[in-house]
Amino acid sequence: MYKALVCCRAGMGSSLLLKIKTDQVIKENNFPIETEHGNLDSLIGFNGDLIVTMADLTDELKDKVSYAVGIMNIMNKNEIKEGLEKFLKERGNL
Amino acid sequence: MINLVNEKLILLNQDAKDWKDAIKKACEPLLNEGKIKETYVDGIIENVIKSGPYIVIAPHVAIPHTHPDKGVIENAIGICVLKNPIKFGNEANDPVKYLFTLAAISGNKHIESLSSLALLLEDEKFYKVLDNSKDSKDVMLFLQEYERNKGNV
Repeated sequence: MYKALVCCRAGMGSSLLLKIKTDQVIKENNFPIETEHGNLDSLIGFNGDLIVTMADLTDELKDKVSYAVGIMNIMNKNEIKEGLEKFLKERGNL
Repeated sequence: MINLVNEKLILLNQDAKDWKDAIKKACEPLLNEGKIKETYVDGIIENVIKSGPYIVIAPHVAIPHTHPDKGVIENAIGICVLKNPIKFGNEANDPVKYLFTLAAISGNKHIESLSSLALLLEDEKFYKVLDNSKDSKDVMLFLQEYERNKGNV
């Protein structure tokens, strides 16, 4: 099971919506990923496998985490699915 | 979600001259109803200037919000529909027409409301209602109906 942190800047709005959507995608596809949710501060001490965040944050964060999925349209489940599939493929799970 | 919205928090057919103006318009009813302080509005605008248009989350949709410690008084969600969509500088999702202002203290209620907002935001019917309603009462009627049918809006 992989551990993902879903985060945004404030941790109150976008990331919660994104977590709701990401959890739907994970459930529908039986991906071996569990999510937690937070803001940028949550990254400190996060020892999981990937982060899921808004696309504009990915560039800023990609050096700080082992893997980052950036989402442009939170409501687009296909975009989220493709992002997670790419991660799972790289790890040899798909 | 329905518990956090009311007629007075819904603005339809609004004019805005730029993205800052759009955020101010969208926040106005929450200010008037005592849900947020001025500092919260300034906080949102400052944060967008500093961090980019992070509040634009889907095509034509923005959810203005920032840290609750900038001045949230009470949990609430405001709805603002622009007559003329405005560019926020988010290439993938511009221009913005629908603004859902989040005032969130914290807690499970907030997460529940966001879950129902998430459902609404992917429902084409919801945008049609926002486009075609003459009065915020019509939007409330839709939301009440939606809640009855889905059980948990």
